[in-house]
Amino acid sequence: MNTDPAMTSKSTTLSSLNSIPTISAAVSSSGLLGSVASDNDMRDGEISLNTIEIVQRKFKDNEKVLSIFEAYQIIGQEHRSRLLALVVSVAGGTYAVFSLATARLPPRNVNDLSIDKIFALNETFQIGSDKKGSISQLQFDLKTADEAAVKYFYYPIISAEGASDFETFHAQIISAKFSMTHSTAATESILSYSWLNDYRQIGEVKQELKRRENEYIVFKDFIVYCGTWNVNNKPYSDSPLHLWLSNGEQPADIYAIALQELDTSAKAITFSENRPDPMWISKMLSSLHKDGEYEELTSVRLVGMMLTIIIRKQLRPYIARCRVKTVARGVFNTLGNKGGVAVSIQLNEGNLCFVNSHLAAHMAFVEARNEDYAGIVRGLVFDDDLKRTINDHDHIFWIGDLNYRIEEPPGLQLPCNRASPNAYDVLMKYDQLRIEMGKGNCFDGYSEGRIKFRPTYKYDVGTDNFDSSEKQRAPAYCDRVLWKGVRIEQLAYNSIMEIRQSDHKPVYAIFRVKIKTKDEKRYKRIHEEVLKLVDKRENENQPQISVDKTVLDFGVVRFNELSVCDFTVSNNCPMPVEFMFKVKDPPLNDICEKWLQVEPRAETLMTDSTKRVRVKLLADVRSITGLLKKIRTTNWKFDFDILILHVKNGPDMFLTVTGEYKPSCFGLSVETLCRTNQPLNTYTQAQVKDLMNDDSPEFRVTMPREFFFLIDYLHKQGNKVEGAFETLEYKHARSLQFNVIRDWLDTWSSEEFPGTPQAAAEALLMLLDLPEKPLLDPFVEDLLQTNTAAEAMELISLLSSPRRNVFVHLCMFLRQGIERQYYNLQHVASVFGRILLRSTAHAGRDFYRETRCRDFMHRFISSDIGGTLSTGIADSSGISGVGGGANGGSSNGGGGGDGSNTARINAIN
Amino acid sequence: MARGFDHLFKLLIIGDSGVGKSSLLIRFSDDTFAGTYITTIGVDFKIRTVVIDGLRIKLQIWDTAGQERFRTITSTYYRGTHGVIIVYDVTNGESFANVRRWLDEIQNNCDVVNKVLVGNKNDDPDRKVVITEDAQRFARQMDIELFETSAKDNINVEEMFLAITRQVLQHKLRNAQNEQQKDSITLKKQQKNKRKSKCCS
Repeated sequence: MNTDPAMTSKSTTLSSLNSIPTISAAVSSSGLLGSVASDNDMRDGEISLNTIEIVQRKFKDNEKVLSIFEAYQIIGQEHRSRLLALVVSVAGGTYAVFSLATARLPPRNVNDLSIDKIFALNETFQIGSDKKGSISQLQFDLKTADEAAVKYFYYPIISAEGASDFETFHAQIISAKFSMTHSTAATESILSYSWLNDYRQIGEVKQELKRRENEYIVFKDFIVYCGTWNVNNKPYSDSPLHLWLSNGEQPADIYAIALQELDTSAKAITFSENRPDPMWISKMLSSLHKDGEYEELTSVRLVGMMLTIIIRKQLRPYIARCRVKTVARGVFNTLGNKGGVAVSIQLNEGNLCFVNSHLAAHMAFVEARNEDYAGIVRGLVFDDDLKRTINDHDHIFWIGDLNYRIEEPPGLQLPCNRASPNAYDVLMKYDQLRIEMGKGNCFDGYSEGRIKFRPTYKYDVGTDNFDSSEKQRAPAYCDRVLWKGVRIEQLAYNSIMEIRQSDHKPVYAIFRVKIKTKDEKRYKRIHEEVLKLVDKRENENQPQISVDKTVLDFGVVRFNELSVCDFTVSNNCPMPVEFMFKVKDPPLNDICEKWLQVEPRAETLMTDSTKRVRVKLLADVRSITGLLKKIRTTNWKFDFDILILHVKNGPDMFLTVTGEYKPSCFGLSVETLCRTNQPLNTYTQAQVKDLMNDDSPEFRVTMPREFFFLIDYLHKQGNKVEGAFETLEYKHARSLQFNVIRDWLDTWSSEEFPGTPQAAAEALLMLLDLPEKPLLDPFVEDLLQTNTAAEAMELISLLSSPRRNVFVHLCMFLRQGIERQYYNLQHVASVFGRILLRSTAHAGRDFYRETRCRDFMHRFISSDIGGTLSTGIADSSGISGVGGGANGGSSNGGGGGDGSNTARINAIN
Repeated sequence: MARGFDHLFKLLIIGDSGVGKSSLLIRFSDDTFAGTYITTIGVDFKIRTVVIDGLRIKLQIWDTAGQERFRTITSTYYRGTHGVIIVYDVTNGESFANVRRWLDEIQNNCDVVNKVLVGNKNDDPDRKVVITEDAQRFARQMDIELFETSAKDNINVEEMFLAITRQVLQHKLRNAQNEQQKDSITLKKQQKNKRKSKCCS
């Protein structure tokens, strides 16, 4: 009943290993290391392992890393480190080259490694070294039918301890491949690479769970009952099947019942009858062990062959997969009178395969039977997730009418009838199946129990007598039950003489199979551990950068003056990192505010490299409006901006751009300017913020001094003002000289005006243009609807007094200049129209609107301005002047917005 | 590559500066606690996969800067969040008083309803100023579950994260169910209409 040692798969595997002495030596040494490593698994990284030991941890105990090789791939512009590992599965007897991505070289622990590609060393495997037209001699490609060619490069110097040089690695691969393709197993193409599937196309979690399988897998006993009977086209009804199917002390868990010659009529053969016979099945179901409750799991039929799998009802939830497949080996290998049918199931974590075959008949056709066997092995590929073949199962039961005969030596009377155990052993010596298996011609790796029953063929129907017909066919053990795989123990193997309906006697075998089963408690714990580990790896592999400062303090920031601040971004993590500044939400739609410029905005940083990022701050005519608005509206501490430094697939960092804005008159509203009682350069940012947010109707002066100074200066220049008020280009502001004018205004300087009349005109335009709201706010749109200057004047009189006074004063000044032909009316109307009636609603340039603004200004300036204005002035209790020619502003500080100050319009008239 | 999870949830941790948001996250994702205080300047995330009712749920947990000056910017990270963890420090009354403001932030910036209130640093009774009863009353009033945790001593951290995850999961499953019901109702209607039109023609 025990396994025949000559027929186990182990012997093949071991011999193939021994055929490559260099590698088998490595197997034993790494085997030792493997066991040491697993003891210390928890303290990973603390003990110093060499690289080959670290790589070994990526694999299961019975998979050995024979050799490793350092290489790299060039992907895009990057060099990506790879460790290639030659690995053998001791169980599968097959080799593969794994390409592992490594976070650093050499890797420090197993967490640095992840499997990138797998090249099975099968017949399609190729290692090439075409160096034509290449940048480096140190390169080769790997390729298999499943994996497209991948180019690897390598360095002339090895850094990892225990790594091979290229020549050694290459020789090891070639010799491993040679050893497999020349082993006996290879000729039958049953080399199993299924172990590689554990590493393919499954997530890291599954890979890790597979690797740690031994920690949560227990083996549970299941009783498997296999039966085979060639029924010789006899009907089911009169057979006492219970004699055949209810043996054994305890009820079986799984039945695999194989019938042959169910229907060998020409019709059935021609039409490839494949409908399972329900009559036979229900007869089987009623003939099983009395102590079990059973149901049919599946049946598969091809003409005369039918295989029915019956399970105990309570097992149903534990069947994870069930597939069937047939292979025809009859005439021209297409007809189904011969061949095989098979069922593949997964019970708990174990994969079982049952094959029922009817091989070629007749004493002389041994070769044909061997070929049928090989044909079934080749042709049987289940249509499941992994395209499993018969050999991809843990437990295989091959049952059926294999048709091998007893080759009677001439003159020897074989003891067919005698009941002594010796008699069967003598018969077995001449059994074709045993002989062919011994030669390695078929059923490689299969075992069969000891036969202690009479040959099962051929009997006169209805008797226990061997064939008495004319043909006098020699008795034979046609009907057999073989097995292959791990943890299978045969409990019984017998035939049933009492069933006499066929010329064959039925045969059964009972097995105890230890099937991989998850221990749910342990599995849950390990699952959680694995999840944590994989998460940890993901968290650790998150790209990270560091910056040398998170606050960019620009110190004192002044209008129209550029400041610069640099910071450094470093990549200290083991992978290249892409960083970029994040575009912020609308209305900004940019990475930073208008007053900032950042360079570069995005960059890729290699490991251990740094990049200097430059931030420029400039509050000028383009951006001062927004900056002041932000100062005015910020509730808490004011920052110029916060930049979001984003790491691709990683965190965001906030970089605060801060400093103290030194107030200037530019960009402030005329109301704000009328609330000052000292030069603007004496105010702090916070004080100016308060001034901007002050909405009381109390003003210190009736018109901002800054306006008055500029208009006064221009007035005094007489006709030396050529080119003034012609464009809005603000070209003077771009020169450093302009900031002297800024300071002259912000200090209420009593010095001479430090610039040209043209620059003064530009400064005046900027004073009007840069505040958030246009001078004629909130009546801009209403004013554009007016048709006469008088109509407009009514609205003007409703403006706040600083706005009204500035406007009237300005218009009178301009009218005079135009009358004296210092300025061109068209230009003035156009330029001031665009500024004073600026639209706050939309930014787009509207030509018609511009025309209307120009027309309004044209009309207003050229009309009888004196009369209109004096009316307006009278209505609004007169224009109050500012401090006249004297620049000592503080002396006027007490003056409110009323008419108490002397009207100084005359001063410029 | 096979997906390693059944659900992916984004959680956000908010609360005043210094209440221990990062420590809670590190305790949950890494099971460690660093005694030194490092201000988070930005947003960082960690992942952790948990199994609830046999479902693998991958959590992407975002830790935000608590400082006032970053308030506007962190509010943009609320988008797409499935659950929010609002943290205060039981030894700091002001941080508890500010919880209301953080709740307003949630209200203004996202539609998520899944949230938990967390009183962290609950490991030294002598320093505790926000008493459990007050916090509990407030939590009940706001209809939000309260957890008192200590990232330092690893008290209640796992429970708190699992509770918010469960809340998000139930919310999602309920929504999916509602969707399905809606679909089946419309389908029924359509079938009815079809039959009618058949009759007519």
